[in-house]
Amino acid sequence: MDSVLKAEKITKEFGGLTAVDNITFSADKGEILGIIGPNGAGKTTVINVISGILPLTGGNITLKERQISDMPPHDRSRLGISRTFQTVRPLEKFTAMENIMVGALFGRELTKNKARERAESICDFLNLDRTDAHVDNLTVLELKKLELGRAMASEPEILFLDEVMAGLNSSETNEMIELIRKIKDRGVAVCVVEHVMKVVSELTDRVIVLDRGEIIARGRYEEVSKKEEVIAAYLGEEEENAED
Amino acid sequence: MKKYAFYLILLLLAVAFPFYIDGYLLHVFLTIFIFMTMALSWDMMLRTGQLSFANAGFFGMGGYVSMVTVSSLEIDPLLSLIFAVVFAAAVAFILGLPVLKLRGIYFAIVTLALAHVFEVIAMNLEITGGSTGMVLPEAIFGGDMQLLYWLVLGMALLTIGISEFFARSRMHYAMHSIRNDELTAQASGINVSRTLIIVFVTSSALQGLAGAIYVQQYAFVLPESTFSLDYLLLPIAMALVGGTLSTAGPVVGAIFLGLISEYLRLIMPYGHLLIYGLVIAVIILFMPGGIYKPVRNIILNRILNLGGAS
Amino acid sequence: MKISPQRSKLYLLLLLIGIVILGFWSPRALIFGLQRGSLYALIALPLALVLGIMDILNLSHGELLTVGLYLGYVLAINLGLDPLSSIIPVFVALAIFGGVIYMIAIKRVLGGGHLNQLLLTFGISIVLIESVNIIWTSRPRNIHVDYAGQSVEIMGITTGSYEFLYIFAAVAVFLLLRLFLKKTKLGQAVFAVGQNPKGAKIVGINVDFVYLFVFALASGLMGLTASIMLPRVSIFPETGNPFALISFSLVAMAGMGSINGILFAGISLGLAEAAVNSIPGYGGWSDIVFFGVLIIVIMAKNL
Repeated sequence: MDSVLKAEKITKEFGGLTAVDNITFSADKGEILGIIGPNGAGKTTVINVISGILPLTGGNITLKERQISDMPPHDRSRLGISRTFQTVRPLEKFTAMENIMVGALFGRELTKNKARERAESICDFLNLDRTDAHVDNLTVLELKKLELGRAMASEPEILFLDEVMAGLNSSETNEMIELIRKIKDRGVAVCVVEHVMKVVSELTDRVIVLDRGEIIARGRYEEVSKKEEVIAAYLGEEEENAED
Repeated sequence: MKKYAFYLILLLLAVAFPFYIDGYLLHVFLTIFIFMTMALSWDMMLRTGQLSFANAGFFGMGGYVSMVTVSSLEIDPLLSLIFAVVFAAAVAFILGLPVLKLRGIYFAIVTLALAHVFEVIAMNLEITGGSTGMVLPEAIFGGDMQLLYWLVLGMALLTIGISEFFARSRMHYAMHSIRNDELTAQASGINVSRTLIIVFVTSSALQGLAGAIYVQQYAFVLPESTFSLDYLLLPIAMALVGGTLSTAGPVVGAIFLGLISEYLRLIMPYGHLLIYGLVIAVIILFMPGGIYKPVRNIILNRILNLGGAS
Repeated sequence: MKISPQRSKLYLLLLLIGIVILGFWSPRALIFGLQRGSLYALIALPLALVLGIMDILNLSHGELLTVGLYLGYVLAINLGLDPLSSIIPVFVALAIFGGVIYMIAIKRVLGGGHLNQLLLTFGISIVLIESVNIIWTSRPRNIHVDYAGQSVEIMGITTGSYEFLYIFAAVAVFLLLRLFLKKTKLGQAVFAVGQNPKGAKIVGINVDFVYLFVFALASGLMGLTASIMLPRVSIFPETGNPFALISFSLVAMAGMGSINGILFAGISLGLAEAAVNSIPGYGGWSDIVFFGVLIIVIMAKNL
């Protein structure tokens, strides 16, 4: 298994707050890595830092042996890092198809025609039918597929999915799980940040558990979910919620 | 096909204007085309999501550079236009690098402040004639209105061409993606700062060109009139009234508002601007998307019977 | 956009240092700067209020001042009303005027995009300037009152005494506004709407009325300032224009939604302007100082 992405001792500080603290992990081709942990653990920040939207305070990121820690987000996208956003952010000016084309036009720098072809094949792959619909008219599932499609359009080496199952019902979740498996089979390294544990256990090959910016456990979900520290971290979250 | 025929006819009409329209009306259209250039160039920045108030600044800058190069280097006014464009583009590039990192109202206000800085500089340097401005012995083309008209028409067509280029190339996707959601744009591989710089430099260069040509008409510059807020506000009004984020909108808006203000000025020596302001206010209140689409639909559907939806 | 307490203390300290230095170098510039700065702050405050609570940048802001000036002029000429006594009538009249403008026009674009709001207020501004032009022509008007021409001697310098009123008025208005927002029920409602209009509505606050009130209040304040400025300014249709630009700049410098910052920003700029003006031969460049400081501050805060 080749390591596509290596994050070595990455740290992200905001003023006095350390959101990500000295984390090291790697993601391999053809596997699905889960990043889990209670709210506020720093999961989305990890994605933001790896995709380049936020600058690193410390540490190194390499993509296929290449140092990318100082690269701006658009360059990282072109080199093969894609991500979806927790809150779906469709581009309102464009139709569903055009939204996906954007990923192909800039992530892969295809011509307009090639980009359209690629977008069409992605829509097929995702079972996204109403490609000329305006984004206002799309359902939640369609919007999620849109995000996914746009991220896929740049032909990524590694794909980060930030809580993509949120808001989906049971059958929609299953459809998503299938799609993600197919993506993995295409050779893309997939990293899912998830809160829905059923999904994590079904989908992931292994997980890392974050709490307060640190990795407190790693391994297969079945083993990790039984560990004391992990349970404690989630319970701590429940307690905080109860106190509110 | 019918659409292109329609445009071609309009183009031929416009080119042929000087042959059958008299000096006064010709001058009206000349001014409309200058403002059309300003309105379109402003709209280009808007498509990237940035509200710029620098129009009048680059307009004035272009005018002054043109005048100064003619008077100091004794070159032909036509050549001075090139200086104006290059200078405006260069300044836009250098200033754009830091300033384009700002967003929203901060960007707007800094561009407004920069425009005023340009004005103050023009008002205080000796070479620009200070607060009394500059006058040249001769206007461009010796004052030949026809040639001037074609020059201005050419500039307007160039601007329309650039606007359409932006709309049909991948720039279209880059610009509107940045406008809709900058994070998504970045994550999709769009180089936001490069896109913004390209558009900013282009629109500033066009504004500089417009200013240079306008000023050479009269061979005269004066800080408060060459940098007048009119060159900021009227183009914006035209773009908004016609419909922003498109090529046709600012074009239609410039013609519409330009003709209305001229008509009003004729029939009401006093108070025409008042009606003008009311027109703007009323259109915003009742047709906020601009008049272009509704009017186009009426023309296409009812008059030309081309059918089809909007 | 709130500045942290440490930051604002730093700014305050810098301002005080600047005041002291200027005081030694050119006491005249210090006095003049404080006066002008207070005036700028007074004029910018209503704009900041409307922007902070209603999220509208009112491009016709300067014209409210102009209208107030003309109103004060009319009262002085026709009724012999002394400018300072006309403060209350002009305040009320402008408040009503602002309320009417709000109801006819501004209210409708509240939800729409910022561009539409800008264009609408721009249209209103043209309508106001031109109306004033038609009624009174562009010939500058002036009001002369004896007490406005008095001088006083401070630190060995003879200077006009009237403009100290600006400083007094600015401080008074700011303090009163703060008290209003914190201590009165209506004020707290206004503050709440500014923070979170949807939340305020849920809690039962009549957001519509609050908006009307804020716009009317802001207009009234412009009237108040106009009355105070009346004896010292030349009145013509474009009088309000330069002040509008200064107001926009102050609002941007102080940060959107920061009302206290306006006072400091205004005074800082008044001082900077006066300082440059007092350098012989560089008077014409004082505008650049203004814009230069503005640009630097905005860039520093946002990059």
